[in-house]
Amino acid sequence: MRSLAGAFFWIVLFCAVITATTSIDEDLNIPNEAETAGNAYQTCSAECLSSASEEISTDGLELTDEEIKVASMGNTSDSLSLYESSESIKYPFHEQLTLRPLPRSFMFASFEFLMRSNNFTVGEKESDFNAYRHYTVFPKSLSPLLEYTQTRQLHLRFTHGRWDSESWGQLPHEGRKSGGTGVELWAVIEAGSKDDAFHNWISLANSLSGLFCSSINFITAEKTTYPTSYSPLSDESSLPIFNTSNSLFLIRAALANEPICTENLTPFLKLLPTRGRTGISSLLDGHKLFDSNWQSLSLDVETHCNAGKCQYHMEQFIEMVFNVPNSLARADTPIPKPVQESELRCDPTKPHDAWQCFPLPQSRDTKFRLSKLFGRKIIGSSLISEYPSKVCANVTDSWKVFIDVNDALFSTEDNCFTIKYDNEHDLHIESTDTSNVVEPEPIPLFVSRSLTGYGQDSGGLRTVFRNPSNETVEASYFETLPWYMRIYLSSLTMESVDGLEIEDVIQNTYYLPAVDRQRPTHLNFKLLIPPNTSLALSYQFDKALLKYAEYPPDANHGFEIESAVVTVTRPISYELRTSTLLLSLSTPDFSMPYNVIILTSTVMGLAFGTLFNLMVKKLITVEEADSRSSSSTSLKAKLAGILGKIMRTSRKVDVEKKHQ
Amino acid sequence: MALLEKLQRRASDLGLWYRFIQLLPKLALFCGLIGMAYLALWLPSEGQYRHTYISENALMPSQAYSYFRETEWNLLRGYRAQLELLVNEPVDKKNVILAGWLEEIGLKTAVHKDADHGDSLYGVWHAPRGDGTEAMVLAAPWHNGDGEFNLGGTALATALTRYFSRWPLWSKNIIVVFSEDPKASLRSWCHAYHTSLDLTGGSIESAVVLDYPGANDFFKYVEIFYAGLNGELPNLDLVNVAVHITQHEGMRVSLNGIAESEMEDREYYGKMKQLLLGVRKMALAGVQACYGNEAFSGYRIQSIVLRARGSGGPFDITTFGRVPEAMFRSVNNLLEKFHQSFFFYLLLAPQNFVSIASYLPAAVAFSAAFIMAGLDHFFKGSKSITSGTARSSDTLQTVTRFIACLMTSYAVSQVLLQRNNPHALISVSVLTSMAPLYPSINSNSIAQAHQLKSISFLYLSVVLTSLLVVNFALAFGIGLLAFPMIKIQNTTNSRLRIKNSLLLLATNPFIASCAFANIFETNLSGFDIIRNLVSAWNDLGCWTWFVVCIGWLPVWISVAVSSCYVAEQAEPNYHSSSDCASVKKLD
Repeated sequence: MRSLAGAFFWIVLFCAVITATTSIDEDLNIPNEAETAGNAYQTCSAECLSSASEEISTDGLELTDEEIKVASMGNTSDSLSLYESSESIKYPFHEQLTLRPLPRSFMFASFEFLMRSNNFTVGEKESDFNAYRHYTVFPKSLSPLLEYTQTRQLHLRFTHGRWDSESWGQLPHEGRKSGGTGVELWAVIEAGSKDDAFHNWISLANSLSGLFCSSINFITAEKTTYPTSYSPLSDESSLPIFNTSNSLFLIRAALANEPICTENLTPFLKLLPTRGRTGISSLLDGHKLFDSNWQSLSLDVETHCNAGKCQYHMEQFIEMVFNVPNSLARADTPIPKPVQESELRCDPTKPHDAWQCFPLPQSRDTKFRLSKLFGRKIIGSSLISEYPSKVCANVTDSWKVFIDVNDALFSTEDNCFTIKYDNEHDLHIESTDTSNVVEPEPIPLFVSRSLTGYGQDSGGLRTVFRNPSNETVEASYFETLPWYMRIYLSSLTMESVDGLEIEDVIQNTYYLPAVDRQRPTHLNFKLLIPPNTSLALSYQFDKALLKYAEYPPDANHGFEIESAVVTVTRPISYELRTSTLLLSLSTPDFSMPYNVIILTSTVMGLAFGTLFNLMVKKLITVEEADSRSSSSTSLKAKLAGILGKIMRTSRKVDVEKKHQ
Repeated sequence: MALLEKLQRRASDLGLWYRFIQLLPKLALFCGLIGMAYLALWLPSEGQYRHTYISENALMPSQAYSYFRETEWNLLRGYRAQLELLVNEPVDKKNVILAGWLEEIGLKTAVHKDADHGDSLYGVWHAPRGDGTEAMVLAAPWHNGDGEFNLGGTALATALTRYFSRWPLWSKNIIVVFSEDPKASLRSWCHAYHTSLDLTGGSIESAVVLDYPGANDFFKYVEIFYAGLNGELPNLDLVNVAVHITQHEGMRVSLNGIAESEMEDREYYGKMKQLLLGVRKMALAGVQACYGNEAFSGYRIQSIVLRARGSGGPFDITTFGRVPEAMFRSVNNLLEKFHQSFFFYLLLAPQNFVSIASYLPAAVAFSAAFIMAGLDHFFKGSKSITSGTARSSDTLQTVTRFIACLMTSYAVSQVLLQRNNPHALISVSVLTSMAPLYPSINSNSIAQAHQLKSISFLYLSVVLTSLLVVNFALAFGIGLLAFPMIKIQNTTNSRLRIKNSLLLLATNPFIASCAFANIFETNLSGFDIIRNLVSAWNDLGCWTWFVVCIGWLPVWISVAVSSCYVAEQAEPNYHSSSDCASVKKLD
């Protein structure tokens, strides 16, 4: 039976490869030396993803003269192609870099990587004797992991920094691709029971921990929740179940205190078929990425099945927000020293001379190259993929974007560039009015959360919701709190200037109380927030005392509380997270127990001695005691008596021995 | 046990116990003198204090070069010139203009509205590198503690914020606060931050208040204030960091506002003076002029005030600005909360301190003195009862009287909170002090007088003991000022009665604190201290008023009441041999 299935798989695979190669042959023009030499026009042909499959004309006639700012026809490289053959295999991989200037001289950069695995058959384990699998672009490290832990969906987020939604508008991808500060992981796991699912979940977390060089292994039952209304399950119908007796479990955990660092980027890049060496991922440098104001690394793997054939779809996003002037200045001088007097930009309407200067707002002119922002250039395209790498800039008319290939600058109509060859590419961006950017999408709901109160034993949590729109917002507020925050839901109060009551706003509450050292608090509100209102929900909590071994070992400034997730469902679909919080529990001075033990032992010793004496001794008057002590034989005499007795008996024995 | 037994037998043989009881009044007096001498004379002497050191390695003060200089000065002057135009504008307008500047720099701003104490503008600079859970506060009140317009301070805070925003290294958010004054207004903001503000930047680790009045570019030296409310002090590490950085920049440091002429005095008397000044500042924190660090007390925020003093000195305003800059760099390095160094200390020079273990005996001595006085009266009282002249139900009566005194004191504290009238209070106090002049004779009175005093002194001792770790300076101060009370005797002698009356006058909580303030604190003349004690509770939440009213006043009232009683017979004689014999038998 198995061999039959194996044979079937072979046939299917063969057919698939045949169709893939033929389609590539038809759709894509594989560059060769003859076509590229001395002509770089086609590298910047105006294309977008949809037109990627179209035949690219070799003479680049789509470009008009106006669009070509500079076209140096001089020294183009003589060998641009790695491929001698035109029959190279192309794989389902797509990568794109999108740049979007934000207000106040910020720049949003999004690296998008999409890939698919080969088909695999349900019920066929990788460890089976005659099973084998091609991974092609899909990372080999992930597939067995997903299979072993029966994970049907995997979502991993590394996020750091603060998304300034008031100024930058909505989070990218409606907030669905970025987590709260730290690491966030959720997965849909198929299992027969909740315990099995949890078991798989823990092994998934442990494996990912090694894979991504982060402390995901700190996910325990104490941090794990089973969300009931959380976005990924909305399309549950499309989720595959391999064994009909099983069911699917959505499991989630977040680690707010996990610092995101360069060591997390490297494994992210290793998952890519290009390994960060070519294509847009060659721009990614840990130093620059983590120098940005906000960064998010996300990984989503979903299983899609069709008639017994399944496929993993994987999306990877590496996104960041730079402060362009600061980043450029840091590229020149790492230390932001005071500027030279000649470079001071003073407000001419206010008094300014050699002594004083009222600073002007930031300059609206800008002119920079991507390589200065990222410290590197784009090294070629991802040549094994179906589609060439793309770089797009989402800008308004006051911006000009050119691609630089071999010192020649080219532009396109829609500011999208396909990178097809393996030479270095760079982007030249300039603007006369940096404040003129693509209008940020309006935010349906602003949420901010803070800790209130002080003191070591109790505190409060206050969450402010502000609906700036003219429509009622329907949202779900999901919060996980550690067990050592013992919340009192009875203390839930609402502040509202509009006279709203709790019943008007909270439509539905799901509350799963924490169990000490076993389960976190799981709180979920369904909220209905009227238009143009601001309200604050607050409740109180007690801080539990930890066992001494439960405190973090050294340098710790408190306990991070993971961010709350707000999912807006109406009028638009949007997801946002609050900032994390720092909870300080009463921390004992750990040298103190030692002192306490010593002191207690001393007191106990003294008390014991006294009590013991009182119990075994008789209380008599001084006179009586004196008379007794004079009459009774002393200890010395007693000892002498006993000793004498022993001596006598031993002597007797000796005598007897002699007699014998 | 045998050893203890032997010792006890030996002691009873020698009659030590009776000698001790006889000596109690003298011992009490001796203890009080020891307490006073220990703090004032012994601690400042060589070998009793230690040199300060940075305990937390991560702080590394002045290890990085400070760049707040050169053209930053031009920008600072630019801001200052604009702020100078706003001196007489209403606070709303100032806040709107300044909020515009801060937003231009990249901060999120909001105004905390407080109709009673004045609005405060604040801005949060979200650290690009941090996780946004912790913050450092830079505060510059519009007016400083002396009521001057804090022009240099506010301009400096704005320029520093702009300067900080260019640095990528911050791991903690920076919150800059412009409050109306450094007292109630800043306190109100701090309270609101922990209860009701919508714009927050995480838990605050440290706060630096800048105080640089006037438009002068140059100043002479830096003053550092650190004593918080209710005996709270910032971690010694933060004070050390501030002192270290200031001295590293070449400036001289004056602690607690000691005069320029005396601040360099590192001799014995100089140290003594600084020590006593520090104790005074701690005891009167919130009551005397507040410079701003008091506003952050009680929220686990380490805060200090930096004041630029004198004009026309050798240092320019950017030198002053480099102190908060380097301090922020230091605090930014912290991975933990401030916990390494001392939270209880006394400074006798910017770089010398005594820790709690060394100075605590001074207040303990006063506490012990009151215990001894209480015991003395207890034994005298029980003597009277056993000698048959008093009924045991009198004890209950005495306790009731003491509770009545306690209630009266509480009522006084509450009445004053409602109607702050120090004149009436002082008049009543003076009248009550006359009580010993009009004695009432009662057969049981002497026993009751002893009992009442005994309860009062033991109560005061309990109050002082529980206070001495929390607020050493206040415990010490109350102990010192209330101490002469133990010398009040029950007597028929009219000269001694006048002495009693004078002692009562001197140890009345209100009269004593007024007298103390008028002698030592130039800015607390007349009855200001009473007014300030009440307003310190209302505005800042400073407990001193209640400690005085509920800890000290009931004791004083009961002592005053007890001193009305006089004996109709001579006091029982402890020396009678029959007494000794009877007790010996009992043993």
